[in-house]
This record gives sequence, structure tokens and C-alpha cells, in this order.
Amino acid sequence: MNRREAVTQVAWILGGVFSAPTLQAMSRWEQLASTETGSSKPGSFLTETQHAIMGRVAELIIPRTNASGVDSPGVDSPGALDVGVPDFMEVMLRDCYGKPAQDLFLTGVGELERKGFLTLSPDQQTAMLTQIEADAQKNSNPSFWLISKELTLLGYFTSEMGIKASFDYQPIPGRFEAIKIKPGQKDFMYGNQA
Amino acid sequence: MNLNLKAEKDQTYDAIVVGSGMTGGWAAKELAEKGLRVLVLERGYELKHVEDYKTAFKDPWEFEHRGKISIVAAEEHYATMYFSAKEGSQYLYTNDKENPYVQKRPFNWIRAYHTGGKSLLWGKHTYRWNQEDFLANAKEGLGVDWPIRYDELVPWYKYVEKFVGISGQPEGLAVLPDSTFLPPMAMTAPEVHLKNSVAQKLNRPITIGRVAHLTKPQPWHSAVGRATCQFRNRCSRGCPFGAYFSSLAATLPAARQTNRVTLVHNAIVKEIILDDKAQKAKGVRVIDQNTMEVREFYAKVIFLNAGTIGSTSILMNSKSARFPNGLGNDSDQLGRNLMDHHLAIGARGDIDGFDDDYFFGARPGSLYIPRFRNWGNDKRGYLRGFGYQGGATRADWSRGATETGFGSDFKKKMTQPGPWKINLSGFGEVLPNPNNRFTLSEDQKDKWGLPQVVFDADFGENERAMRKDIMNDGAEMLEAAGFKNVVAYDNPVAHMGLGIHEMGTARMGKDPKTSILNKFNQVHTCKNVFVTDGSAMASASNVNPSLTYMALTARAANHAVEQLKARNL
Repeated sequence: MNRREAVTQVAWILGGVFSAPTLQAMSRWEQLASTETGSSKPGSFLTETQHAIMGRVAELIIPRTNASGVDSPGVDSPGALDVGVPDFMEVMLRDCYGKPAQDLFLTGVGELERKGFLTLSPDQQTAMLTQIEADAQKNSNPSFWLISKELTLLGYFTSEMGIKASFDYQPIPGRFEAIKIKPGQKDFMYGNQA
Repeated sequence: MNLNLKAEKDQTYDAIVVGSGMTGGWAAKELAEKGLRVLVLERGYELKHVEDYKTAFKDPWEFEHRGKISIVAAEEHYATMYFSAKEGSQYLYTNDKENPYVQKRPFNWIRAYHTGGKSLLWGKHTYRWNQEDFLANAKEGLGVDWPIRYDELVPWYKYVEKFVGISGQPEGLAVLPDSTFLPPMAMTAPEVHLKNSVAQKLNRPITIGRVAHLTKPQPWHSAVGRATCQFRNRCSRGCPFGAYFSSLAATLPAARQTNRVTLVHNAIVKEIILDDKAQKAKGVRVIDQNTMEVREFYAKVIFLNAGTIGSTSILMNSKSARFPNGLGNDSDQLGRNLMDHHLAIGARGDIDGFDDDYFFGARPGSLYIPRFRNWGNDKRGYLRGFGYQGGATRADWSRGATETGFGSDFKKKMTQPGPWKINLSGFGEVLPNPNNRFTLSEDQKDKWGLPQVVFDADFGENERAMRKDIMNDGAEMLEAAGFKNVVAYDNPVAHMGLGIHEMGTARMGKDPKTSILNKFNQVHTCKNVFVTDGSAMASASNVNPSLTYMALTARAANHAVEQLKARNL
């Protein structure tokens, strides 16, 4: 087994919340294996266009939705853009990912830019992402898609708005007990992942 | 001259305790409660209970990287990255880059240089050793025989357990003797199913993990300011409720209540000052980690509780005409037989069904499967055994990264509990081996001019043979319970040190020719120096070691005071 697989396996052992690709991307050895370090340029990691593309991708992954189809205003569940996922992505890519993962990501977003992603219709965009996902799932290596998806999920489901809209947040449960689930019950979130 | 005498008097105590962590806290408490004036020397900075747990109440969105650590931090803290490299707890770990050491063979040296030491990092699993653990070396002709037996430690186990507060379930097992318990934590439905299946099909007991958490605080816990566990499972950031046992939350407050304890921070002990004529220690020489100022402190008795590597390093560094190779090192055993537990190996799987089962709260504990190999009638081709920690939980939103799909339906699905998953993680005993050792570097120094530690240790044949069983037996138990997609894993990044259970290097024994410490943790040839942390261990067992260190420390402190009173020190 090589180091990559090793790191992947540790994720589960130690109850990490990151999927394999992120752990791999964060792996020290990948970092050490690359000749350069860290972020390419000061300030932002993505160009303005790339930032906009990633905003669109994130919003397609976690869109703003109406709660259980009720059409009354004010019961919207926020989406990735509402909670600032694109800016969060930049911070994470700059600070927490090794150069190989950064390069992988930039290649992927460059590909979308080349294909005029922002000029496509929502249906075309969805179709394109569906294809990218299918390609990504052909093997277990890190991919642009997995990094995008896990950063979108992390950025959204650990944001204040995202947590409060999505989960039953219990920072101080006070007890531990086995219980029966209620139909449609939201997941509890304890905020202990940091 | 007079000035010197006065200065010396001002710096004189009844006892000096080096280190304020898991065992240093105990030594300070016991010695002070028995009437001694105690100086505790901590090499790191001052960390105040509650007020310095700066991340304890932070919500996930308050962390810039939402709990992940930066590449730079991962590199600096690389030794810890598998376990505890989280944004919320990173501040409690010592930076490897600023505190370098030499690795002839890979060793993860995980440190916590501040008040409370590694008692702020521990997993809190708390088990007694069993009868066989103390007999194994003698029976197999390995290492040296323990100079004590289980029965001699029982009163001290009882004594420390009461003060620590251990949540657990009595089972009446010889392999895992019961402690004095507070109420046990609950199991999830699939865990109960696993327990029943494994009992029925393989005749192996599974119990809930015995962890040092207050599930029902007793008056003596409240008296030092500790409160009930809130099931937040944010222990790694420091517990503002003092619900889990740590030196900061429990033993140091008790020690301070005597008004006989002085705690000095930033004081790196360079060496023990010897009175060669009397074959006794006179005091210690310390370097201030910030100002580099060198000071001396004096005492009738010295307790080394600097952590296995720290305590043994101090002995190695303490040279004199009588002890040219380090204090008490006539046997050349100092630094040898370095042990840990080998881990990062086990089995995991998925669980069908239990769809309407769930749980409330974040449990800071797990299941525990006691050793069953080479126990009773079981005989394997290797020596000793292993246990497992682990448990079953429902996947959360993070499963979405590797699941197919995106969009509004996917989003809604991620807000509901995912499928059940289970993991069993092995902890195996490492044998004593004189060639697994550390030494002090001849030429590489740290920034205080002290020699760097050089590690030269690794797992051997016995550990590797055992690892096959850890994988297979784990998978077998999950399969016996009907779990799906069972995968046995063995992570090759597991090196010595990763268990943060460093043991050995100044072992106890009956004979000064083959060991450093006697049955009361005194240096054989320098009786007023006691070493009561992991370095004293003659073997490693497979259970988590802290409780045994604590019992040995309380016992040694009692002996020290008796000997002082009898004027034998």
C-alpha cells in the first residue's frame, strides 16, 4: 500500500470528517514531494472569472431552496452563495491544500472557463457537472470535482446559516442516550469537529 | 558566603517535582497533602484551567478553516496530524519545528509543553493492568521481571480511581479487572448488537469504554471544581467543565489547596545536582526557556515526572564522577527498551438496518474489546495480545463528498442522519527490546544548548505477527454481527510514538545490574530520586497506561514520605 492509500484509511480510523481526497491533498508527503510551497500569489487564489465559476458550481451543488416546497417567503433555506462558499474555498485552497491539489483544482476550473461554463444554461451546467462527476468517480484519486464538492459541503454545513437551516444544533447536549428516530428528523450537529 | 547560604535556603523545598502533567500533578498532590513543601517545575508556559481553553466554546463557523489545519501547521505538527491536528486543539501541541529531535528510525514524539502536559491530550481510556501483565516478562524470559505484582498495586489503583472518576461497567473479567466506577456511558443500538453477536458466536466480551469522565460527580470531585460531562465531545480543546480528568482540572487544584505547592513555569531542568559522597541528589539546575537564566533549586527528594523521554533525558544528562554515563546508569539500561502501543490497524464496515435507531449527544468514549489472544486456552505464534477501541455511529453530511449527486434533493438528504458505520481500532502490546532505544546526540543541540534526543526504535517481528490477527479478528467480529463491506486495514504510517504511550527507558526491576529503578520507583543507586512516569515501565501491557502511572506515583509518594520520616533519605 502506498502513502496515499495509507492516509486515506486513517480518515476513517480517526473519525475525520474529510473525505479521502482532502486528506490526501493535505498530506505532508505530497507537500514535501513538490518543489514549491503554498499559494502562488498573494491575495486571491482565483481570478475573478474563476471565482464566479466556482460560485456557480457551489450553488449548483448546494442551491438556495424553499423549505419543503412551501412558497411562503422567509422560509428559504440558504444556498452556497448565501453563506460565502466561494471566498471560503479560496482560503482553504490557499492555506490547507498542497501544491498538487491546488494545481489539480486550477486545471479543473480552467477547463470550465475554456468551455464557457458561465454562458451555459442552468440545464447545460448541470449536465456538464454530472459528466464531470461521472468521470471523477471512475477512480479514487483526488479530482477537481471532489475538492470542489467537499469544500462546498464543508463551507456550507459548518457555516452559521447552513448549520441553523440544516441541523438540530446542540452545542451542549448534556447527556448521551440511544433514541429512536422520528420521521424526517434532522441530523443533530454538535459542533465538535474542530 | 552568608548571601549564598540565604539564597540556597530560599530555593530549598522538601520535594521537587519535575513536570506538571499526568504524573507530576499526582506527585505534587500526594507529597503536599502529606505535609511536604513542594516545588513543581514545568518546562513550558503557564496554561490556566478554563480561562486558557480559548477554543472550548467556539462554534464551527468561528474557525477560519472550520477545524482543518494549514499546510504549514501540518508540517510543523506532522507527528500529530493523524490524530489531533485540528484547528481547535492545535494550540495544546508542541511545535516540532521549534523543538527538533533526531530520528534514526521514524518516531512520532508528541509533546505538550505547558501546565498539565499531555493530560490535556489523552484519550481518557482508563484501565487497570491484570495479574498476567505483571508476570509476563518473568514467564517468557523477556526484559526483566517486574519487582511488583498486581495485588500490590490494587490499593493504589482503588485510591487513584476514586479521585480520578472513571465511567464504566463492572464485568468481573480477570483480563480487565474492574475499577471503582461512576455510571457507564450508553451504547448505540448496533453496538449492543455487536456485543451480543460476538458474545454468542465467538465468546468474547465487549464492554463500554472505561473513560475518565465524570458521569456522576462525587463530593470530592466537586471540591476541586469539577462538574458533570456535558457530552459535547470537544475534550481535545480542553474541558471548561473539568469533566474529564486532567492534571489542570483535578490534581493541581487539589495540590494548590494545601498551600504548600509552588509552581514555576518556563523552567527546563537541565540536570540533577549530585552529592557524590552521599550518593544522593541535592537539587536540580534549570534553564529559563525564555531568558536562558540558569537557577538551582534544592530538596530532600526529587520526583521526575517529565514524561518518559523527558525524565530519562534528565537522568542521562546528570553526570558526575560516580555516574559518568548518567544518573543511576550503572546497568547501561538508561534509554533502552523504549515501548509504545502499536495501532492504526483494525477493521471497519457498514451496517444495514437500524434505520430508526439514533442517539442524542456526542459521546467522548467508545466500545472496548479486552484482550482475548494468548489468554486462557488461546495460544498464538506470537507473544502477548491486543484490545480494540471503536464503535458505531451514523454518517453525517461529510459523506456527501464521495456520494453521487448534487442539487436540492442531495442537499436535503445531507441534513438527515446517514447510514450506520462501525470501526474497531486495535491497540497492541509492544515487547521490551534493548535495541529499541533513544540516546542523546553528541553534536546536535537544542536552543538551550541541551543535547537533542536521538530515536532509534521500531516495531519488531512479534508486533508484525500480532498485527495480522488484529486485522483478521476485527473483521471476523464485524462479520459475526452481520455487518457489510467489512474492510480490514493496516496503516503503514504507524510508527513508534504515534500511540503517545511512550514507556520504558528507565525500567523498574529487582536488580541494579539490569534495571534503573527499584520496586518503589527509586533510582537503585540514588534513593532520593524517584521516577514515576512511563519511563519506569518494565513492559507495556496492551491497555492504556495512564491509570497505572498514577497508581505507581501515589504509591511512590507515600513511600517517599515514609522514608523521609524514618530519616532514610
